[in-house]
Amino acid sequence: MSYRRTRAILIKELRHILRDSRSLALALAMPAMMLLLYGYALSLDVDHIPVMVYDQDGTDASRNLVRQFQGSRFFEIRGFGGYGEIRRAIDRSKILIGIVIPRGFSGEVASGRGAAVQLLVDGTDSNTSAIAVGYAEGVVQAYSAEWRARGGMPPAAPAIDARARVWYNSSLQSRNYIVPGLIAVILMILAGQLTSLTIAREWEMGTMEQVLSTPLRPTEMVFGKMLAYFLVGLADSAVALVVGVSVFSVPFRGNVLLLALTTCLFLFGVMFWGIFVSAGAKTQAEAFQLGILTTFLPGFLMSGFVFAIDTMPKVIQVISLAVPARYFVTTLKALFLKGVGLHVLWPQLVFLAVFAGLVFLRAVSKLKRQKVA
Amino acid sequence: MWERIGAILRKEFIQTLREPRLRFLLFMPPLIQLIIFGYTVTLDVDHARIAWMDKDRTPESRALLARFQGSGRFDVVALADNEDEVQSILDHSDAHAVISVLPGFARDLARGRTAEVQVLLDGTNSNTASLVSAYSAGVIQAFAGDVRPKQAKNRQTIRVEARGPGGAAGMAAAPITAQTRVWFNPDLRSRNYFVPGVAANIMLMITLMLTAQAIVREREIGTMEQLMVTPMRPIELILGKTLPFALVGLTNLALVTGAALLIFRVPFRGNFLLLLFCGALFMMTSLGAGLFLSTISHTQQQANMAAFFFNTPAFMLSGFTFPIRNMPQSVQYLTYLDPLRYFMEIIRGVFLKGVGVSVLWPQMASLAVYGVIILTLSALRFHKNLD
Amino acid sequence: MNGFAVEIHDMVKTFGDFVAVDHVSLQVKTGEIFGFLGPNGAGKSTTIRMLCGLLIPTSGSASVVDIDVAKAPEQVRRNIGYMSQKFSLYDDLTVEQNIDFYSRMYGVPRERRAERKDYVLRMANLTERRDALTRELSGGWKQRLALGCAILHDPPVLFLDEPTSGVDPIARAAFWDLIRDLARTGHTVFVSTHYMDEAEYCHRLALMHRGKVIALGAPAELRRGLNHHSLLRLDTTAPLDTMRAIEGAPGVVEVAVFGSGLHVVVEEAERAMEEIRRRLGAKGIEIRRLEKILPSLEDVFVAMIEAEERKAA
Repeated sequence: MSYRRTRAILIKELRHILRDSRSLALALAMPAMMLLLYGYALSLDVDHIPVMVYDQDGTDASRNLVRQFQGSRFFEIRGFGGYGEIRRAIDRSKILIGIVIPRGFSGEVASGRGAAVQLLVDGTDSNTSAIAVGYAEGVVQAYSAEWRARGGMPPAAPAIDARARVWYNSSLQSRNYIVPGLIAVILMILAGQLTSLTIAREWEMGTMEQVLSTPLRPTEMVFGKMLAYFLVGLADSAVALVVGVSVFSVPFRGNVLLLALTTCLFLFGVMFWGIFVSAGAKTQAEAFQLGILTTFLPGFLMSGFVFAIDTMPKVIQVISLAVPARYFVTTLKALFLKGVGLHVLWPQLVFLAVFAGLVFLRAVSKLKRQKVA
Repeated sequence: MWERIGAILRKEFIQTLREPRLRFLLFMPPLIQLIIFGYTVTLDVDHARIAWMDKDRTPESRALLARFQGSGRFDVVALADNEDEVQSILDHSDAHAVISVLPGFARDLARGRTAEVQVLLDGTNSNTASLVSAYSAGVIQAFAGDVRPKQAKNRQTIRVEARGPGGAAGMAAAPITAQTRVWFNPDLRSRNYFVPGVAANIMLMITLMLTAQAIVREREIGTMEQLMVTPMRPIELILGKTLPFALVGLTNLALVTGAALLIFRVPFRGNFLLLLFCGALFMMTSLGAGLFLSTISHTQQQANMAAFFFNTPAFMLSGFTFPIRNMPQSVQYLTYLDPLRYFMEIIRGVFLKGVGVSVLWPQMASLAVYGVIILTLSALRFHKNLD
Repeated sequence: MNGFAVEIHDMVKTFGDFVAVDHVSLQVKTGEIFGFLGPNGAGKSTTIRMLCGLLIPTSGSASVVDIDVAKAPEQVRRNIGYMSQKFSLYDDLTVEQNIDFYSRMYGVPRERRAERKDYVLRMANLTERRDALTRELSGGWKQRLALGCAILHDPPVLFLDEPTSGVDPIARAAFWDLIRDLARTGHTVFVSTHYMDEAEYCHRLALMHRGKVIALGAPAELRRGLNHHSLLRLDTTAPLDTMRAIEGAPGVVEVAVFGSGLHVVVEEAERAMEEIRRRLGAKGIEIRRLEKILPSLEDVFVAMIEAEERKAA
């Protein structure tokens, strides 16, 4: 590999990048824009669950229970009505839970026979429903305990107290794990895009034939091109990370150097991938589609960004081993939330390095074959 | 007029169906995507990985372990002996949670005191953590109920007659229990929720991409100029160009629905014809958007990018994974501009709730209005000249 | 009808600051082959596109068969055939499918379609290859198919924008035979080209330069005209020294290298020849040949364009 020729390619690519200032501005603004929009918009936290109450009892006891729900930050009472109204509201997705307090509720409570509150739940969105039901049952239990206490009864202590302690993300805010994942997915799309267009463009404009007729070796071409876009990618990463930490105040507990190293390895891999895709496509349109298909979908679905990989079928889990975003997401989440170091994360780094190396070799050999052909 | 629309239709069909590769590209990726999405997109935690730390080492604590292993929801993947190991297990993400039985567990149970079990959760993925926490609390409560049947507690969907610890002046306690009934998706399978949504997204992606490309391609290869000098009217071109893709989109909807029922066993409770009709309404918006994008793009490359920049936010903000209810108010207003949002509600309503026009008319009306507006807008933008 | 198939009056087209067509006026008679010449970027394609209603004139007006192109572009389109500079048929359709498609788009009545298709296939000599994919045809055949598709509805006026660029000389000759046949059957053909030999086939020519028509007339008229200047052929032993010696001499308008010798445009042949002999004799340059010649169209246009350039500078 000649240093001189690689540098020539690097300089030429940098000139292309700097000349097209609109694309450059777009490439730099994109990650911040996407992260801001999605970081604010996307959340799996379950709060303000819309509910409707059907109070058949209409006593102090039942009204007290309703007040408990009103007081909880997890619930928002959208109205009162009968079964029909609850049914309609659930059909129209206006509410998630209908709370029915049966007639004779206060009497049964007072008599000590034990009373039941009915929760009618829209199970369509199973995840939200499961969590919402948990909260609702919690409210009912708390109310039950309060009632006992007021009646001078001994608390019905559960025989076993399961005390949950949450590490790393103690408030269980989904933003804290969505934002680091988003950063990885956004960088995957962007970095892949940056390079996937570059070789296809040369084919399209016909400059590729000219370049291939020089003594330039594919290795030099791939490396030079990658380096130029790598600089843009680094800037993007910095923008994304700074926005993530400063705007969304996601805690960062890890080592900055380790973060930089992982980011570089990840960018290498994805950018070589972009070049590899590009080498196979003869038009920019084709390269773009292939690039999106092979970065966005795996990045979104198989990186563990939102959907946990270990709950997927084995086949998909194996496929996900070839998705660099998977390792990057793992590392980012670990660095942001867990603050662990190299002794834990080294396998991720090794995988990223291996991925980058393999894709580099594939890209070079693909270009070599085209040079001969 | 119909003569010319027919001519364009015929041409489009010949062009798209000539090559086996193209035929394949029209119908295979949607199915492949459905399958990949269907298997990957799930928020359920079926087999939570837990580590076990037993500081009590009694038959009772081992019985609790057996309870966890027998529950079908947990895989015990490691046994920890001390806090350092717990730390390391959570750091390496080897387990979602570590369950630690504290010393004196059996003794407390025997004496009727509250025994303690600690559940240490990896909160990195807050969703998984919430679910694992709820599930393990469930197992522990059930175990407690068996150990002390007198004090059984109600869980989830069953109502259990509960009594106080039959003491204090023979006075009964008054526990209040929650009786939960889950409609539409009683097993709370997230796949039932996601798979219909995938179908909606696939339709948007395919039709948007195809339409945005179709007109730009003619412009790029120069055939558009030749078409413009014929007496063809813009509306004829638009109809001739979009009808084949509407057909492709609806065929895909049918295909993908079939696959969802056969492969993923998603319940279908509504009316299929209603779904197709709503699909057609939705198609108006996605084809309209595609046309609009093609009027602002000059090359296929630009059209691709424009389609991507429309499709990604449309997908993210449609409520597919992330409930719209959770979004900030301003973003919620933004989602009204997202046609996928309406169709997502419709397709989920038809699949899971089995609701009909009486419930879905606002969404249907929104799609119709949206479609008419965007189609008109792009027809107006499409001039028969090169200026 | 006043006998003009195409009339352009004071037409202007600007793109931003750039004036592509600058106050052009001309008329084309019915049945005429009208040639449109000029270097790339002179505004030929822009003018043709405006006549087809593809671009809207910034000012001025134009009509085709007495229909105003700005007011009734749709009616104009029923009366014209157009072949754009770039080959623009669907190359993933067969020859026959392309013809069928365009004959429906032009609204050729159902009962006449078969007859028109046969005519076009015969004319373009494509009857044997009617089932071939268009992309598999060679350049000349594609060109004839494109012409065929443009005349399916038998339009009275044809606009051909550099129809023969990139086609081999034999195919070009065959193509011009078709054009002349069309003209003979009463069609008006408005054709742009930058091949000078093709200009000779035209009944009348317009020379465009920087958006302006700088010459208009039959080829013979233009050749004779040269703004009353004459053209001399001058061969000497040292052409470069010769140029230097006679440039700027009284009566010499223009000196240009042409082949092995020089072409000299002069105001008056006899007087200039005397002056040239005198000057070269003084420098000791030997004259091998000096005579008045009939200018080719190329000479005429090069001289005119250079004169324009000088005026602009």
